[in-house]
Amino acid sequence: MPPPIPSRAPRGTPLYVHLPFCAAKCHYCDFFSVADEGQDLEGMIDAILAEAHVRAPHAPRTVFLGGGTPSLLPIPLLRRLLDGLEQVTAFRDHAVEVTAECNPESLDGEKARALLDLGVGRLSIGLQSLDDDILRLFGRVHDAAMGLCAYEAARDAGAPNVNVDMIHSAPGLPTRTWREHLRRILDLEPDHLSAYTLTFEEQTRFRTWLEQGRIERQAEEVELLQFAITREACSAAGLEAYEISNHARPGRECRHNLVYWHGEPYVGIGPSAASKLGHQRMGNLRAIPAYLGAIERSGTAIDWLEELSPVRRLAETWWLGLRLSEGVDPARARASAGFEGAGEDPALAEAERLVERGHLERVGERYRLTPRGLPVADAVARTFLTRLH
Amino acid sequence: MDPKLIRNFSIIAHIDHGKSTLADRMLEITGTVQAREMKAQLLDDMELERERGITIKARAVTILHEKDGVTYQLNLIDTPGHVDFHYEVEKSLQACEGSVLLVDASQGVEAQTVANAYLAIEADHEIIPVLNKIDLPHARPDEVAEEIESSLAIEATDAIAVSAKSGANVDLVLDRIVERIPPPSGDPEAPLRALIFDAVYDEYRGIIVYLRVVDGSIRARDRIRMMGTGKVYETVEIGRFSPKMKKCESLQAGEVGYFVSNIKQLGDVRVGDTLILDKGPAVEMLPGYAEPQHMVFADFYPTNPGDYEDMRDALETLCLSDSSLSFEPVTSDALGFGYRCGFLGLLHMEIIQQRLEREHDLDMIQTAPSVTYQVLDRHGEEHWVHSPGALPPPDQYEELREPIARVSMLVPTEFIGPVMTISTDHRGVFVRQEHLSATRVQIVFDIPLAEIMYDFYDKLKSCTRGFGTLNYEITGYKADDLVKLQILVNGKEVDALSSIVHRSRADTRGRAVLKKLRKEIPRHLFEVRLQAAIGSKILARENIAALRKDVTAKCYGGDITRKRKLLEKQKAGKRRMRQVGDVDIPQKAFLSVLGGESKS
Ligand SMILES: Nc1nc2c(ncn2[C@@H]2O[C@H](COP(=O)(O)OP(=O)(O)OP(=O)(O)O)[C@@H](O)[C@H]2O)c(=O)[nH]1
Ligand code: SF4
Ligand SMILES: [Mg+2]
Repeated sequence: MPPPIPSRAPRGTPLYVHLPFCAAKCHYCDFFSVADEGQDLEGMIDAILAEAHVRAPHAPRTVFLGGGTPSLLPIPLLRRLLDGLEQVTAFRDHAVEVTAECNPESLDGEKARALLDLGVGRLSIGLQSLDDDILRLFGRVHDAAMGLCAYEAARDAGAPNVNVDMIHSAPGLPTRTWREHLRRILDLEPDHLSAYTLTFEEQTRFRTWLEQGRIERQAEEVELLQFAITREACSAAGLEAYEISNHARPGRECRHNLVYWHGEPYVGIGPSAASKLGHQRMGNLRAIPAYLGAIERSGTAIDWLEELSPVRRLAETWWLGLRLSEGVDPARARASAGFEGAGEDPALAEAERLVERGHLERVGERYRLTPRGLPVADAVARTFLTRLH
Repeated sequence: MDPKLIRNFSIIAHIDHGKSTLADRMLEITGTVQAREMKAQLLDDMELERERGITIKARAVTILHEKDGVTYQLNLIDTPGHVDFHYEVEKSLQACEGSVLLVDASQGVEAQTVANAYLAIEADHEIIPVLNKIDLPHARPDEVAEEIESSLAIEATDAIAVSAKSGANVDLVLDRIVERIPPPSGDPEAPLRALIFDAVYDEYRGIIVYLRVVDGSIRARDRIRMMGTGKVYETVEIGRFSPKMKKCESLQAGEVGYFVSNIKQLGDVRVGDTLILDKGPAVEMLPGYAEPQHMVFADFYPTNPGDYEDMRDALETLCLSDSSLSFEPVTSDALGFGYRCGFLGLLHMEIIQQRLEREHDLDMIQTAPSVTYQVLDRHGEEHWVHSPGALPPPDQYEELREPIARVSMLVPTEFIGPVMTISTDHRGVFVRQEHLSATRVQIVFDIPLAEIMYDFYDKLKSCTRGFGTLNYEITGYKADDLVKLQILVNGKEVDALSSIVHRSRADTRGRAVLKKLRKEIPRHLFEVRLQAAIGSKILARENIAALRKDVTAKCYGGDITRKRKLLEKQKAGKRRMRQVGDVDIPQKAFLSVLGGESKS
């Protein structure tokens, strides 16, 4: 039985829009996207707008166009999408942050200006590396120079808020080189820098290659070192780490992504997009024909839905919250999780044990990861996710 | 039927000597089963029996044989040959007056030939030796007949040589059964007494009780009482096996059959009990069966804790048809609630495990088999110790004793040397050696049961190129230098991982256990210290270094559910992981230690 069609989320709920097309599939990427060649982009935009019609909240606080590569859409299609969204949600007057993910091969001055004109205020550009060999290994279709060009184009177009995505610990990337690349990126004075440790996700080429021994993962020490260096360098440049992989100038933290880490509700539309509403998480069909078909039939394409138990909500709140430098306030975690256990807060006991071990520290009412806890944040999260009853 | 015309017999032999095949031919020759319904080992109708090609449960069947113009009713019981199922043989023998002792003329007398022949002698049976497989080119019937005489003191000069495969001479065996085996001696006029020798549960009809009428007779709609359990029922249907159940009006003294009474309460029927008429005069109870002696114990835990009750029902159902199985509830720190089961041997254990999984659709975890120890306390009292966790500290007992098995091995003479070696390697003490013939020798050792449980039989097989066979019985308990090998995880003893071992083995075993644990316990936020110890003496250590890096780089809205599931995966249901202090030990780690010995 298909899950019930969700009702429209309350006014102001953040909106995510998933555009599942890229110029080519990167070898490390496990987001849902396919190469755009031969795809019916227009049909997809119309389907997404049809879904928006049924599900998009009015006056969303934030909007995020992700994917995939939204910048790959030609300007007329971008206009069709954003004007269409405007009609349904009136986001242009209400959203405090509207982000579009962009890739160097599809971001020039004209595209950047168009995006800004259409109501996008924040451009997130995937540079990933400044080393051409590594970019090739990654399966990116641009080189380092193109990446830098795209950044300049965004700034020249007047983009007020720009993020750069980078990946460290790539096979063969010396720490010295990473330090140097970081410096060059930070010299560009982005408002925000997302720097990820390279991961080898299931069902990616990188995972297969790793298992076949065709590529080699960096030693744990190197990953840790490059991670630590990133935080230091960003901090020195005025971009504090506010999340495990995210750094921003004060006030430039990504408002939309904070919604995820705070465990707040959001609506996602487009293939594979996930939503959180009330105590439920749900997600759309991934496969493009399945998604298009479902939208045509019913205007929605929900594929799965899970109802979170109170304990799980509480554990999740701690897991996601601890990714943030601000940490977790237990009372607020309980409130946001809707955890009404009469007795003791089960998360508190775990948190205290982790304080004793030196993985968490208490600052005022809040608990947060210590420098020792940070590199093992998942293991810390696991103690909440698996031990709370 | 006039009891004078009834013959009850079991077919007994070593495993694979052809009992079920001989039964096939008997069913065929007597026209009990139509040719088109015939298939090899017809009586082995359990899925596991067919898969493994062995008999697990004894099966009774009634056949009619004509001799000199007179029709006789023959009640045949095909028994299993494997040592683990000898309780089935014992039960069958009590329902008969004679046995066909079948010996493979190419293999000769083997361990279970001897063991089962002795059971038949003890049961006062008329024994008819039969040599089988004479169609095989290397059959040596004369030599084997001599072996039977010399090793069993059973007259075998006129033993019938048959081929159960082709059916040659099988009719002679039937004739001889009629001639030699005495008719049942019960009194058809006396009040009813019948022995319950088996029972199975049928979902629709309730328990089907297999019985051998000793005195009197039983009819449909009789009110009957089971003396032991005191339960009273009205028989709804009675019948014989042909080999399918076939209704009949009555069963007379000496006959074998079944009755159905819509009995749903498993506890109401006990194999070995005596069946009488409810309102009849007082009679003496039949001797019934001796308690089976369990050789091997292992714990079964349902993978899903919610299946605990189902598991009990399943075990009760199996116990009904297999009274050699025992079980009682256990709790383990590591594995939760389950049942400690007693078996007659390793194969028996394996069969029960598979039947639970297949016939009752249970998913379960099984610990390694272990034996029961005995301690002599300071006050001279003896106590059973079923698990290492239950062993009191060494200063609280005088002696720790282990079961000793008298192991009798039949091997070709050229393998005497290697057999001696593996026996002494397993702490065996030589008892005696006897030549059964010029080429076969019986070697007897006393070996601790714990030593033969795992791989002794495999070793015997391989060091005798498959020719060696063994049989064993528990002769008693003996103190030895046994110690409790403790396993500590971050200083905390984990009972479920501890074991009782001979001191000389403690070191090696301790090291092996820690190696396995090290492989299976994931890295934690802190260092995990593993130690193997006897009391305060540490024998071995291993450390699992603390995690250094474990962090997801990307975690956004689209992926929260999947990432959370990945993080939770290590747990996936409470049973997968056990907490010892702060350390999470995966069930796999326990199993690698508890169940891994046989494979190492
Ligand atoms: N050549 C030959 N093979 C035979 C003869 N009788 C039995 N066999 C084969 O011997 C094997 C074992 O036969 P079974 O009848 O299953 O032996 P069993 O004694 O019932 O075995 P268990 O019940 O497991 O103890 C089968 O492969 C039979 O086909 C025979 O007379 N000649
Ligand atoms: S461009 Fe981005 S979304 Fe597309 S495949 Fe590459 S990493 Fe994935
Ligand atoms: Mg058989």
